[in-house]
Amino acid sequence: MSDTSSATQRMTDTRAVVQLGIKAATAYNRPDLGERLSEVLSSLDDRAFHVVVVGEFKQGKSSLVNALLSAAVCPVDDDIATAVPTFIRHGEEGSAEVVYTPEDDGELDAPLERESIPLDRIGSFVTEGRSSGRRIQTVEISLPRKLLSRGIVVVDTPGVGGLGSSHGTLTLGALPMADAVVFVSDASQEYTRTEIEFLKQAYGFCPNVVCALTKTDFYPSWRRIRELNQGHLAAAGVPAEIMPLSSPLRLRAVRTKDRELNQESGFPKLVEFLNSEVGIQRENDLINRAINDVLDVASQLESNFAAEREALADPESAKALVERLNATKEQTETLKSRMARWNQTLGDGVADLAPAVDHDFRGRVRTILREADEAIEKIDPADVWEEFEPWLYQRVSHDVVANYAMLQQMAADLAVRVSEHFDDDSADIARHLEIYDPSRALDATSVNAHLDIEKATMGKKAMSTLTAVRGGYMGMVMFGMLSSMVGVALGPFGMGIALVMGRKGLKDEKARQKAMRQAQGKNAVRKYCDEVSFHVNKDARDTVRRVQRQLRDHFSARAQELNRSANEALVAARQAAQTGVTQRESRLKDLDAELRRLGNLKKKAQAVLTPEAQS
Amino acid sequence: MSNHLSTLISDVRELLDSASEVYAGTPTAAQVDVLRERLHAPLRVAIAGKVKAGKSTLLNALVGEQLAPTDEGECTRIVTWYQDGTTYRVVADLRNGESRQLPFDRVDGAVQVELGDLSTDDVDRLEVTWPSSALRDLSLIDTPGIGSLTSDAEERAMSFLASDEEPTAADAVLYLMKHLHATDIGFLEAFHDDEVSKPNPVNAIAVLSRADEIATGRLDAMASARKIAARYSSEPKVRRMVQTVVPVAGLLAESAATLTEAEFQGLALIGKLPSRDAESLLLTTDRFVNSTSDVGLTSMEREQLLKRFGVFGIRLASTLLRQGTVSTASELSREMIARSGLDDLREILGSLFAERRDLLKARSALLALGNLIEDHPAPGSEQLDADIERVVASAHPLNELRILSAVRSGWIQAKDEHLRELERLLGTDGQSPRARLGLPPDADDDTVRSELLATLARWQRRAENPMTRHEMAVASRVAVRTCEGMFAAGAG
Repeated sequence: MSDTSSATQRMTDTRAVVQLGIKAATAYNRPDLGERLSEVLSSLDDRAFHVVVVGEFKQGKSSLVNALLSAAVCPVDDDIATAVPTFIRHGEEGSAEVVYTPEDDGELDAPLERESIPLDRIGSFVTEGRSSGRRIQTVEISLPRKLLSRGIVVVDTPGVGGLGSSHGTLTLGALPMADAVVFVSDASQEYTRTEIEFLKQAYGFCPNVVCALTKTDFYPSWRRIRELNQGHLAAAGVPAEIMPLSSPLRLRAVRTKDRELNQESGFPKLVEFLNSEVGIQRENDLINRAINDVLDVASQLESNFAAEREALADPESAKALVERLNATKEQTETLKSRMARWNQTLGDGVADLAPAVDHDFRGRVRTILREADEAIEKIDPADVWEEFEPWLYQRVSHDVVANYAMLQQMAADLAVRVSEHFDDDSADIARHLEIYDPSRALDATSVNAHLDIEKATMGKKAMSTLTAVRGGYMGMVMFGMLSSMVGVALGPFGMGIALVMGRKGLKDEKARQKAMRQAQGKNAVRKYCDEVSFHVNKDARDTVRRVQRQLRDHFSARAQELNRSANEALVAARQAAQTGVTQRESRLKDLDAELRRLGNLKKKAQAVLTPEAQS
Repeated sequence: MSNHLSTLISDVRELLDSASEVYAGTPTAAQVDVLRERLHAPLRVAIAGKVKAGKSTLLNALVGEQLAPTDEGECTRIVTWYQDGTTYRVVADLRNGESRQLPFDRVDGAVQVELGDLSTDDVDRLEVTWPSSALRDLSLIDTPGIGSLTSDAEERAMSFLASDEEPTAADAVLYLMKHLHATDIGFLEAFHDDEVSKPNPVNAIAVLSRADEIATGRLDAMASARKIAARYSSEPKVRRMVQTVVPVAGLLAESAATLTEAEFQGLALIGKLPSRDAESLLLTTDRFVNSTSDVGLTSMEREQLLKRFGVFGIRLASTLLRQGTVSTASELSREMIARSGLDDLREILGSLFAERRDLLKARSALLALGNLIEDHPAPGSEQLDADIERVVASAHPLNELRILSAVRSGWIQAKDEHLRELERLLGTDGQSPRARLGLPPDADDDTVRSELLATLARWQRRAENPMTRHEMAVASRVAVRTCEGMFAAGAG
């Protein structure tokens, strides 16, 4: 367990170093850099690594969460399913609150309404999904558990509707924000096609998947099922481990403090996985990124002292130095401007993104319409509309998610491309300013960091609610739309006559009515798809715009910082050139002291980096 | 009412007679004979649902013998009919029209048919004749069920329910449903099994099978299952396809119905353990089989018990024995059958299907004959078709069925309480006048008479009220006729 304490120590160290960095930035009058580090600090404090628990109805998701955290937080019922996502994070004292879904006409960015509820009454909120007439969006619970202390947030997802339904697809759409997925299926039977389909897609969104095989205490042939499932996973190309688990055994083990029983329940393995693959891993990534920022800030702060010192130490070369810094400053001016390569890449990329996504979705809708028309030809909507509707919702939401995945991939690629160009352009500047270049030391993590820009862009807001809040790509489409077709009534059509009509007459009348219902059905499908397309289109555009804005703001701020650093270095070098001989010695001493101080900050920061990240 | 029904049945007989004349000497004659025989044979009840839903297990429980093979894999690959008879015999009807008697063996009681040089694709159906009192009133049809999702070739394509006005091999159906959320896309999947019948609220019941798994083997599993079944029964989309939903713990029912003395001894040994020890022994299946604690049963015997009864069965049996609720094998068997829900299912089968047996058979015969005429036009068959149409349109019992399914499908709109009354009057709760009027079985004749008069007046008013919707008015007229029929039959 020494591992646990040292990692938490690292987090404390990291915070201390970042705070030192903020102090330094304030002391050297660079509020812009200080602000950047403040953001880093809050990203450390708000850290949340989401472990999403998904699976079909009644596979034991909530039981698994309860057993994992050895607390009865998620209600377990033989019949009623969890209706809203439950987020369980670390907190010194156990507490719970519900978050309400905002009113439809509410302000988009208005803070969500919350209400504290007693821990023992969570059950009614999670399963009913409503409280005094208002819809509940999520339930958030804090628990004092060591497993959660590193920042892991366990998310119990609704089992309503099953994986294949629109609800399931919705869960899928939120998976890019997940750090790990626990896929739950019980040992009563092998994976169904729906489950494998879901796993394949989920793996695409979040490769950190572990498969829990539950109820191994009840089904004698769980070993055989595991074997079959392993085959299914291999065939689907999902390299996930299957963990046989027994929730009742774990709860009993916790109650009786029986170590052996706990081992038998299989849970220690899951805990270990979450600790190492999610907790430690993600914490390391976060710390490395924070340290990189501190190093970068320290280097920028150093640059003007370094320039001044160079000019003071060797007055002969001061002129050349000023010239060089002048050129660098010019470069930073360009980097800031619209003409910069990264900015053009961003502009072009965004211009391509929206039509590509739109085109993709149009194609998908065409296929859906064709399939739906074919299906309706074969049926009587009056008999099977109740089956047809969920099928259509599922079919549509499947494609909305696939389209979303495409947008996300393209946006991620764009973010990487833009940041590459920014790095290329700024590398020269950095060299001249002797700024610490993160890509030199940390190739792997810097790429991660870029990808995370995308993640933050796409998902920061959605992160807080699994179902991607309003304004997100999915929110509108799913919640607003999926209910709208329910209004399409398909009966009754003067069935009374048919009731007592002769057999032949009945047949003709029935055929006529059936054709009418088929036409109505097709129309309803068309209207529904139109509506969905409209919203998807709008949401896609909004999302693209948001991606653009966030990338632009991010890199503009960086360019601005570099520009200011270059400027200050230039001023410092000019002043140094005019400094008298008498002051030179003492000023040099001061400068050395300042540089030592900043060097110390860098050393401290370096010390926190993980061994593998240190070059 | 019984007048209406006997008129219908004699009409159907006449129709079949004329059909025999029309088709005399043609190959179709044999098919008419089959229809005629069917009118006298026991009611045919099919067990349908998805693969691995527990269809064969339920069949065995209903027969009280381990007839149909049950295993972890897919067992039933051919539609198999189980019917009463004087000898033990298995006949295969081949796709090419021949029939052939097949040799069979019994493995652990189950009938293992040797197909010999035949492949499963050659065989249309197997007919197992088995002397059994349980099969006297009902023939049971075991079906392979519709495939699991994994074996479906087509990716996301979806098949939908077929219409219910087609002739089918079975007169009534039991659909085995899994425990799924009502919004689940696969919720109605069980009803897609239309090989032998189509779902219809007049001749179908849904069974929430594997009920013991719902609470993963807790002792109160059946209480939960009953709650769920009740909720399913009130789902409109279930109501339009079946009369009601009954929970049955199939494995428990089957094993209890076929409990052996040796098994009873084994269960008794577990029942003798102090409850704490028994609980820790039954904590997991692995522990139960591999435990070194001295129960007096070998590991293999324990594995066998587990296979037969499941964790739920063993927990239940040992608890019943420990508490002294039962002390002999037959008591245990009776108690476990009662707790498995099998008794409830039998009772509902009796009241819903058995009482309506002749009507359901007549309905099947009419549908089949109509189809036959359409497929094989012959001189004189046109007149026959017209006659069928006349009977179908005028037979009051068939109108009752039609109105019932219209109510269930939501075609008829009226106040809920009126619809409930209408359903009852048309015979959902039973065929006797008392059941139809919603009176207790021991109500005296005067009560029945005055209630009947009041009901008749009520429905006449509804039928004539200009504010009544057209569909409801039609339904009300049928209800009035039902009341008049009861008067005529002397209920008043």
